[in-house]
Amino acid sequence: MYGEYTWVFKLYMLFKKAVMKFTIKYTIPIILLLMVTSLASCKKYLDVIPKGRKIPTTLADYEALVRDEYTNHRAPVTQSVLLLNDRWESQANLNYYPLWKANYYWDVNTNRISLNTTDESAYYTAYSAISTFNLILEHASTATDATDEEKNTLMAQARLGRAMHYFVLVNYYADTYEASNAASKLSVPLIESADIDAPHKQVTIQEMYDYIINNVTEAIPHLPEEGATIVHGTKGAAYAFLARVYLQMSNYDQALINANEALARNDKLFDYVDYYNSYKAQIDQPDNYPSLPSPRGYDYVENYIMMHGESIYSRRESHLRVDRAARFETGDAMLLCRWKPRVVGSETYYYAITTGYYNEGGITTTEVYMIKAECLARKNDIDGAMDVLNAVREKRILPAHYAPLTAGTTQEAIEYIRRTKENETLFSIVAFGDMRRFNKDPLYARTYTKTENGETLTLSPDSHMWTMPIPLGAVKNAGNGTIQQNVNQ
Amino acid sequence: MQIAALFRSGAERKPFTKTMFIMKFTVIVLLATCLQVSAKVFSQPVTFSGTNVPLKTVFNVVKEQTGYVFFFDEALLKKTKPVTISAKNMQLTAFLKEVLKTQPLNFHIQGRTIFLSEAPVPVQAEQRAKVKVSGFVFSTDRTPLPGANIQIKGTAIGIAAGDGGSFAMEHVDDNAILQISSVGYLVKEVALARLKAGNELQDIKRLYVDESTIHFEVMLTRSADSLDAIVVNSYTTGYQTLSKERATGAFATVTAGSFKQQRLSSLNSLLEGRVAGYNNGLIRGTTSMNGVTSPLYVIDGFPVENSSLSGNSVIENLPGLNLEDIEKITILKDAAAASIYGARAANGVVVIVTKKAKKGKPQVNASSTFTFQPYNFYTGRLASAEDMVEIEKEWAANNPNFQSPNAATYANSMLANNIYYSQGVKAHLDYYAGNLSQQDLDTKLQQLAQSGYHFYDELEQYAKRNVFLQQHNLSVANASDKNAFYVSVTYRHNALEDKYSANKSLGVNLRNTAHITNWLDLEVSSYLQYTDKQEQYFNPLSPGYNYLPYDGLMNDDGSAYTSYAASRLSANTINIINQYKLYSMDITPLDELGLNRGNTKGFMSRSYAKLHVKFSKWLNYQVSFQYENNNDRFSRLYDKNSYYVRNRVNAFAQYTAANGFQYLLPYGHIFNRQTQLNNAYNFRQQLNFDKTFNRHHNITAIVGSETRNTKLEYNSQTQYNYDPDVLSYSMVNGATLASATGLLLGGTFNASDLGSDNEAINRFVSFYGNIGYSYDDKYLLTGSLRWDRSNLWGTDSKYQDKPLWSIGAGWNIYKEDFFTPGLVTFLKLRSSYGIGGNIAKNSAPYMTAYYNPNFQLGGMQGSISSRPNPLLSWERTFTGNIGIDFVLYGNRVSGSVDYYNKHGKDLLASTQGVPTEGWGYSTYTINNGEMTNHGIETTISADIIRTKDWKWNLTGMFAFNKNKVTYVNVEAPVYFLQLDYPDAFPRVGDPFNSIYSFRWAGLSEQGLAQVYDEKGAKVSNTPSALEAVVYSGSKIPTYSGSFSSSLDFKNFTFAFLLTYEGGHRIRNTDLPILGSQYNSLAGGYVTAFTPVNKLITERWRKAGDEAVTNVPKASFAESPGFSSALSTIYNYADVNVLDAGNIRLRNISLAYNLPSYLIKKAFIESARLQFNVENAFTIAADKNAKYLLGGFNRPYYVWGIYLGF
Repeated sequence: MYGEYTWVFKLYMLFKKAVMKFTIKYTIPIILLLMVTSLASCKKYLDVIPKGRKIPTTLADYEALVRDEYTNHRAPVTQSVLLLNDRWESQANLNYYPLWKANYYWDVNTNRISLNTTDESAYYTAYSAISTFNLILEHASTATDATDEEKNTLMAQARLGRAMHYFVLVNYYADTYEASNAASKLSVPLIESADIDAPHKQVTIQEMYDYIINNVTEAIPHLPEEGATIVHGTKGAAYAFLARVYLQMSNYDQALINANEALARNDKLFDYVDYYNSYKAQIDQPDNYPSLPSPRGYDYVENYIMMHGESIYSRRESHLRVDRAARFETGDAMLLCRWKPRVVGSETYYYAITTGYYNEGGITTTEVYMIKAECLARKNDIDGAMDVLNAVREKRILPAHYAPLTAGTTQEAIEYIRRTKENETLFSIVAFGDMRRFNKDPLYARTYTKTENGETLTLSPDSHMWTMPIPLGAVKNAGNGTIQQNVNQ
Repeated sequence: MQIAALFRSGAERKPFTKTMFIMKFTVIVLLATCLQVSAKVFSQPVTFSGTNVPLKTVFNVVKEQTGYVFFFDEALLKKTKPVTISAKNMQLTAFLKEVLKTQPLNFHIQGRTIFLSEAPVPVQAEQRAKVKVSGFVFSTDRTPLPGANIQIKGTAIGIAAGDGGSFAMEHVDDNAILQISSVGYLVKEVALARLKAGNELQDIKRLYVDESTIHFEVMLTRSADSLDAIVVNSYTTGYQTLSKERATGAFATVTAGSFKQQRLSSLNSLLEGRVAGYNNGLIRGTTSMNGVTSPLYVIDGFPVENSSLSGNSVIENLPGLNLEDIEKITILKDAAAASIYGARAANGVVVIVTKKAKKGKPQVNASSTFTFQPYNFYTGRLASAEDMVEIEKEWAANNPNFQSPNAATYANSMLANNIYYSQGVKAHLDYYAGNLSQQDLDTKLQQLAQSGYHFYDELEQYAKRNVFLQQHNLSVANASDKNAFYVSVTYRHNALEDKYSANKSLGVNLRNTAHITNWLDLEVSSYLQYTDKQEQYFNPLSPGYNYLPYDGLMNDDGSAYTSYAASRLSANTINIINQYKLYSMDITPLDELGLNRGNTKGFMSRSYAKLHVKFSKWLNYQVSFQYENNNDRFSRLYDKNSYYVRNRVNAFAQYTAANGFQYLLPYGHIFNRQTQLNNAYNFRQQLNFDKTFNRHHNITAIVGSETRNTKLEYNSQTQYNYDPDVLSYSMVNGATLASATGLLLGGTFNASDLGSDNEAINRFVSFYGNIGYSYDDKYLLTGSLRWDRSNLWGTDSKYQDKPLWSIGAGWNIYKEDFFTPGLVTFLKLRSSYGIGGNIAKNSAPYMTAYYNPNFQLGGMQGSISSRPNPLLSWERTFTGNIGIDFVLYGNRVSGSVDYYNKHGKDLLASTQGVPTEGWGYSTYTINNGEMTNHGIETTISADIIRTKDWKWNLTGMFAFNKNKVTYVNVEAPVYFLQLDYPDAFPRVGDPFNSIYSFRWAGLSEQGLAQVYDEKGAKVSNTPSALEAVVYSGSKIPTYSGSFSSSLDFKNFTFAFLLTYEGGHRIRNTDLPILGSQYNSLAGGYVTAFTPVNKLITERWRKAGDEAVTNVPKASFAESPGFSSALSTIYNYADVNVLDAGNIRLRNISLAYNLPSYLIKKAFIESARLQFNVENAFTIAADKNAKYLLGGFNRPYYVWGIYLGF
């Protein structure tokens, strides 16, 4: 019995001894070797980067940043629109937003600095776009997969984009440009890098305008005639923008030169009369408030460059105040196509009847026509100015009401031009900038008055309200630099 | 000696005596014999006669006649004499007894083998001094061993140890040798003479009483048995198993026995109230601001991170397993316990060990529970129909528009545009518009007021059901010397309160351990889980329109109630719908209930293999690999008849002059499918060392490396006009839909409406080791060290090579000579200090951008999602812990006390982006925060009564935790961010997870809410200074604990578990004020008439009320003086921050064990019937707090049956 087992155990013991010897002798070194090799391959193993996000490296990676409309192509200038009393706001809504109420009711006694934590969007949005453009300007030159020409184009577009946002900032948060004092008044912080803790300096208004002009001038040679999309800068957009900037500086010569350059590249006008006729049935149907497709979106023929207002999303346009609608010419098809009077409860307003996208922050041909017209008028070419104005009016005013306008004086011409331009640039920084500019000239300064809840309210042309306080969040969390308010309430 | 090789390793290096071998062998055999059901084998008959026959010949005969073989050491036979015997059909055992009665041999039968061993030589009876012998028998982990056998060697004299392992024998020879044994333990021999002489004996400690008494403690070692690694009183870290004596860290254990009295509903429910310091899924409070705060879960040695993707964020889920399989849960709380888990250890670790087969007869267990929760909507807190009608009257009386001469026009216009939905308000408008007479109005209002909680009554009747949950489990286990096998199946079927919400799951757990040779074990395991979840889409409590208690779901005529489009949408919208014949926008809640159900089918598998190589007694090597794969497929068919589809398609109805009218989105079913595909693997190699030098010095050490990879993938796809039968769908043009203008009702379309993908990969490579030294098992020192590297954090070497480490020390005081046992049987002091890490899974050190298509512009758009942060590292939490463990009164009272101090450094804290740098709206995280947690944990458990029929145990737990942010470099840029996102802007000195609020200043004389501004003035507008926002308490309890009791009487067990928590607060979100909602036509906010808290009936109504109430007067958005600030300051006032302290009776149960004489006939070993009530009641400081804490939810009633075969 025992004998039967002996050989099994003997064999087993031999096997076991061999295995033990082997394991002790070899396994441990093998394990150690495995550990060492795994160390070596460890770095590569750990370099894996989750998908879905990536580190931009190619020029296309950077170019894609330009297409981020939410970050880079918005100009929410809400408070200026409210101050101008263009858009209709209900009492109930204003009760919700004290800052809105202060601007809408021209309440000079309210300290907007303490309230403006509720609307920081104009500031924050502009600087986030500037940050993207700074990032492109810092990295595009070393990006891969691109020719120098392509890199230069993208960088030129970034320069134009950055300048456009600085223009919004300087016209919203700093005092109006006046050659006499621009070099002594501060504007907004100038920052040229996207790095964390990048330094910035609150430069003077003059320095800021110079910076804007230099950026665009530098960019123009590298800008294409045709952009990849409507948000990409082109030569036409750059000239149009320069025309806008020079006009704001009351430099009519340069404004005119650039306006002509721009119009040479695009002078198409949208025909609102045509548009009105194709939707006449919907528009004229009583008690019907349709949702017509907005013509003023991405494919608007008048676009040089597209930039949204408050929202990048498809939406219904803002409603209009009744007194604002009254400032349109009789028979203005653009008014008829965009708004229709409506009564809801105790409120009456012009209800917006288009939905879609709106180029409220970009530049259109009409604005450049108007710049050209004003420059001509300023230079006393009144007939020339009226011709340019009438070219636009022809596409706006229904034939039954249309008659070419003529003017006897520059002032009369400019009042006509203003009326059309105010309508064309509704809800944009240009409407606000123009008003501020004209307010500095006693000849054109305008005092607003209205009656709300039985109370007469006024907004004088030299009110401090024409400059928006810089958001407290930005002043308190200034980063690498200091910021001071340009207005004290 | 060859035989010995089979059972002991390293034999050739360390010689040991035959006796030793045989003794150990005997014990194993004895144990096996005891457990084996093999009584019948002894009845084999033997017939044999012979004179002076050599023993070997007899053995041959036995083998031939019975088939039984002998197994013995040849050397034994040398001492034997030839045998003379005459037997006819003698029973084998009797025959053997007869044969061996004069031989120095004993025998034992195991299976078909007869083992021979040396019989003890009878001791010479000699007159010796008699002494009294007494003491305690323990296992090495200090568990008393009642029932252990104490026998005087060579005699039949012996007794069994009593409770607490104590024994006492009188009149014992002072040179006797005691044999102390217990099933499953090695026999220990104690020579009294040596003990008396003062010799030191291993595992024995003489406790001096007097000269005539030998009083000692003896420690039995468990018989070597790698198949049974779970030692009852030990801690499992997942990397190794430590005895309670050797551990220096703060551990807590929960064994299956302690949650026997409850339904195994979720992992959390097993831990809540059973581990001091575990509260709401957190161990010892919050340790991170932006990283993961949940503990790491480890199952059978492997971390299991059941995370999933939700958008770009990673959600941590509890791991899946059959809860019935849990044998034991060990909670690793401090650094010494947990830091071996390195970069994921800071939040503590929950180590789960599942059941294995035990040797002996096959174990079969089955259980079923049925749980019932009656449906209930708690209306006690809600204003009734009558209250609401009264408020609507107040609204009408205060609406200035009704006072104006244009009231009729106004009322008509509001009706035409359907600005208000509520029946009461519409009745008022109808009255002012001239459509209703005063009498009709009154009748209508009265009728509404009488309906109580009509909506909720109908909800219960038609839309909800009682919750019914079933859970069934069957497990089978079998083990032999060579193999242990365990399988369990759990099936759950839960019908939830929503009529169309239910889920089913089937979990199968397989586990096999093969003892291939005595130096090689292989363990393989696989857990598979199938789930099928139905999810109701339509929520009748938010049906898509506003309702009030007087509304309903059923019409008087018994047909389902429909909310007509014409009653909600403006006349203009209805015109458009009619003009273009758009799809109906009516909502019939009872028809919608069953539509658009979501279905998730899940399959999860987790498998591992572990190879355990024993090089020698003191060195072994383990290599293991685990692979997890989770696959969830979600699908939802939005039915074309549902409101969702009708509304969605209408949203893309377009009219343009060029194309006329068209639907851009085809009408039909919409099919959405989402898949989550997660897999993870973990590869680990480890060397274990355990050796005692010179009897006093013991060193244990492990060293190893680990590689982990987790990959999460998420994909979502939506198909339009889907035909579930033909499996076809229509192509839609995302770009056209997204950039469409002139949409009649306005809709938005995003890239994600077609589909989206997300992916996350986490990789870790780690090297770790720990070492423990003990001197005489009295003094302990431990240390651990771990390096982690991961793709998650920075390239900067500042942090990369910094190891995570811990040190610990322990002192088994009760082992000291000076320690006088008696009352205290175990006493240990331990302390530790070390670092645990923590990570944020979606942070990266690089500047990253995400890309998605831009439908409007074409091409891809990119956005910077995170700015470069090369300094990103894991968070480090330094934990110091000091604790005492004690056992009193022979294991009747046990407990522990711990004090800890955790200091988190390099915590990922938010920092506010600089607006001028373009990041004004963003906060991003950098390693820029510090916080501390310190606290005390106490557990005490006592067996108050221990008699044959009665047993009563009481256990109490108390944990105190105080959290404080000690450093952070961020300040809320605006006051409301401090209120809304307190965790993004923690304040130094306050706890993390704080609630901030305005200081309530009571109501003004006009009944308006007032708070104090930063200067201490009472204001009714929003104070915008940050200083006006003050700390109002922590959301995390500062103390928590439980009180549980288990009372056994004969076959009955009555138990309950009560938990309490307090010192924390909760913001009251169920306020007695009306809200307002934006109405685009009205161009602003109008009063929202929706169900509201009943306390609104106590609102301010007249001057003077401010002295007795804090509920502001009803303010309506339509009033000229209305300001949104009034509700803002009331919402955020500290008067609405409630004490969240509560006591909950989590579980109360009564179990009855059927007597064995009843069930034996059915071949059932044990049968238990149990009835539980879960969440029987909640006591809270405040009625509203109780509501917010779910204290009004009905209890769960559970019936369970548990069978063992």
